[in-house]
Amino acid sequence: MKKRLYLELENCIGCRSCLAACTQCGGHEERNRNYVYDVNPLVNRQTMPLMCLHCENPACARSCPAQAIQIHETGAVLSALVEKCIGCQNCTIACPYGIPKFDHEQNLMYKCDLCIDRTKDGIPPMCASVCPSNTLQWLTDEEIENKKKQFNLDNGKWVTSMPYLEGETNVKVNLPGILQGITKLF
Amino acid sequence: MQRDKFFKEIENLNHPNEKLIKTHCSYCGMQCGMNLRVNTQTNKIIGVEPRYDWPVTVGKMCPKGVTAYQQTNHKDRLLKPLIRDDASLKGTAEGFREASWDEAYDLIAKKFKELQTEYGKDSLSVFSGVSMTNEKCYLTGKFARVALGTRYIDYNGRFCMSSAAGGFLRSFGVDRGSTLPWTDIHETDCLFIAGSNTAECHPTSMFRIWNVQERGGYIIVVDPRETPIARRADLHLDLQPGTDLALANGIVNQLIEMGYIDEEFINKHTNGFEETKELVKDFTPEYTSMLTGVAPEKIIRAAEIYGKAPNAVVMFARGVEQQHKGVDNVSAYTNMALVTGKIGRPKAGVATFTGQGNGQGGREHGQKSDLLPGYRKITNPKHVEEVCSVWGITPEEMPQPGVSAYEMIELMEQKTIRGLYLLCSNPAVSAPNLNFVRKAFKALDFMVCSDFYLSESAEFADVILPAVTWSEDEGTVTNIEGRIIKINKAQEPVGESKPDWQIQVELAERLGRGKYFSHLKTARDVADEFRLATKGGYADYYGATWDKIDKQDGVFWPCKDEKDEGTPHMFLDKKFYHPDGKAKICALPYRPPAEEPCEKYPLRLTTGRVVYHYLSGNQTRRIPFLHDMCPEPYVEIHPETASTYNMEHEERVRLFTRRGEAVYKVKITEAIRKDTVFVPYHFGHEDSINLLTIAALDPISRMPEFKACAAQLEKVELKKVQ
Repeated sequence: MKKRLYLELENCIGCRSCLAACTQCGGHEERNRNYVYDVNPLVNRQTMPLMCLHCENPACARSCPAQAIQIHETGAVLSALVEKCIGCQNCTIACPYGIPKFDHEQNLMYKCDLCIDRTKDGIPPMCASVCPSNTLQWLTDEEIENKKKQFNLDNGKWVTSMPYLEGETNVKVNLPGILQGITKLF
Repeated sequence: MQRDKFFKEIENLNHPNEKLIKTHCSYCGMQCGMNLRVNTQTNKIIGVEPRYDWPVTVGKMCPKGVTAYQQTNHKDRLLKPLIRDDASLKGTAEGFREASWDEAYDLIAKKFKELQTEYGKDSLSVFSGVSMTNEKCYLTGKFARVALGTRYIDYNGRFCMSSAAGGFLRSFGVDRGSTLPWTDIHETDCLFIAGSNTAECHPTSMFRIWNVQERGGYIIVVDPRETPIARRADLHLDLQPGTDLALANGIVNQLIEMGYIDEEFINKHTNGFEETKELVKDFTPEYTSMLTGVAPEKIIRAAEIYGKAPNAVVMFARGVEQQHKGVDNVSAYTNMALVTGKIGRPKAGVATFTGQGNGQGGREHGQKSDLLPGYRKITNPKHVEEVCSVWGITPEEMPQPGVSAYEMIELMEQKTIRGLYLLCSNPAVSAPNLNFVRKAFKALDFMVCSDFYLSESAEFADVILPAVTWSEDEGTVTNIEGRIIKINKAQEPVGESKPDWQIQVELAERLGRGKYFSHLKTARDVADEFRLATKGGYADYYGATWDKIDKQDGVFWPCKDEKDEGTPHMFLDKKFYHPDGKAKICALPYRPPAEEPCEKYPLRLTTGRVVYHYLSGNQTRRIPFLHDMCPEPYVEIHPETASTYNMEHEERVRLFTRRGEAVYKVKITEAIRKDTVFVPYHFGHEDSINLLTIAALDPISRMPEFKACAAQLEKVELKKVQ
């Protein structure tokens, strides 16, 4: 059963366990490939992860003149192929989310590959495996559909990231606000 | 067992030429399940893989857990015993030379014997910790009493959990940190969480805690700071540090006033209600607000939510416990559960967030100055006899009770204690009033420190013994829930390092006490003797065999025999552990913090933790990811307060109290009270906030008041004029 990465931003506690875990995926050369931001650091402790959303039609791959960014059959947008990447950094500019990172020493782009060694066999990626707050989850489409229903607002809109910035994505994001739609038990 | 909706069947990724060793994290009381990845060619630990099938944490880990494996083969590991001949270098990392185990043991045995011959048995002391297995904790207590014959043994739980223990003993007659398993937490209707920065200190509880709100339940958080959990809570009671007792009394008063009490439960199963009712009458919302700084309507609302909730759990941590009235705070918050009868059934109860990995088990089995295995009392002749029969000594040989951790340090300064064997702890960072503590360590005639890194405390030692990390030994640990779990060995000890139980057996042999120790050849041997020594005590582990732990995903104590499956929920029969079977509702008069702000020291200083570091930081400061995320301490200040001092974000400022001073970088945040400043405590030498903290001890738990003292700020440099 196909599963997707699902982000529930309201849950983030800023522990950056996802970043630590990213370095532990065997294919990641111990470098983390995503981001956690303090939303308003001088005011409060709100944080949010910024993960690659694995666009269905990714700007990074489209912008690559060397076809170094491949899309896996699972939909994961892979890290640049070492033998093809020419270090032009087009992808880092093209990505609307600022995801691809660049290694100046190796002249090589690297990015989240959704732990392809794991996810190709249905094992959750490291970040979603360890996330202590369930900000990052690894869910079936049915489970995501249930989330949509659970967090439906009166105005008929899921409190999620609509409209998306740059086309449909494989990763689904639920923006802060899930608690607005909840009926209290008492 | 207890597999819930968060549990998913997931197969682990197996890399070629690797095996996975299932175990638990080395750090906090959550004891998250993890698999250590071991290279089958080098037989070294090389990484971590989630343990999806651990029912409590289902694969989740915080950043400390994810990187915990990096401790084992770290370049800073101590590989051989170290001896320092020049005592004038004490307090520095200088002057150590490598030595053989034989030389180190000979020197220790000679010095210990000399001191005891000249100054008596009690001139030696043992200061230990609870970030190690039950087997090691047990043997450390036996080593002090039987091998050294000293009364002076105590442990770092006095800086961590001892107030929770004292409060639970008084309220329930038994000290099990949680009355219910963690798998109940997301199913309750209200969590009342006081003095716990849960998102940073016990992060893997968070997916269950958030789920309470997703189900429509409530989270109430009591904290002077708007921590990540307070930010999303339904109600944040932003009290002044050190005023919990007033708040708890105020809420209990409201529960009574608004009629949320369970009279039948109170009459049948508790004592002390009438006195308490009388005492808390004075704690009106207005009066409580005046003492705590929390708005009256918030106090009323908190009582209303907690009172209405069909099921609720009262939880707390070091914020309420590390006060000179920590025990009273614990009993006062526990009163909330007792007057409403929200205890003794699933999804309702009381829990403390255990700080250290084995904070629960480590305090039960004889490392505390007045305790023996199975939570027996050293002052109870029957208890002494029971333990003596296992140890093979006579009751006359059993030393008297000693004193608490900080008081032992006072005796070192007074030269009553002349020698120290320190293990599994770093009091040169974690004790309060460090200028005094460091002076006391320097005053020792002879100090041995066992650790796997050269800690700030090891810098005061004459001999340092290289211990193993958690991953190079096996044994049991009792987690936050009171569940006994198994730590497994993943690789052979690095260098010449040894497990502490083995060091103690070999040292006992050198001290001529081998006949009480030499039969302990493996960790399992220690485990078998340990289980026997707990048999019949109320923390009875006798039935918790390693096989049963493996089969059942852990065993909750008490577990009395082979057939007993353990006790996940306490008090289901509404029987408490006091002789009459009743719990005690405690009438507790309010006392302010030991040191209140004044003109000279107008701010309240409180201390705590960050998610990237564990305890004194001796382990986590060495891990690159954790160090990068939080390389140095800082002082959190509200922008309005900073502006009155003309201080900017990231400016370095001097923070000082009556006891000491330190320079910190300013971190401006609105997520703190204006009258309070906060500094994390994980840092050593001149960065230690404990240079400033106060050693005002709780009369029962002897816990110092880390959480509240009076302080002042000062600029250290004039700003460059543009």
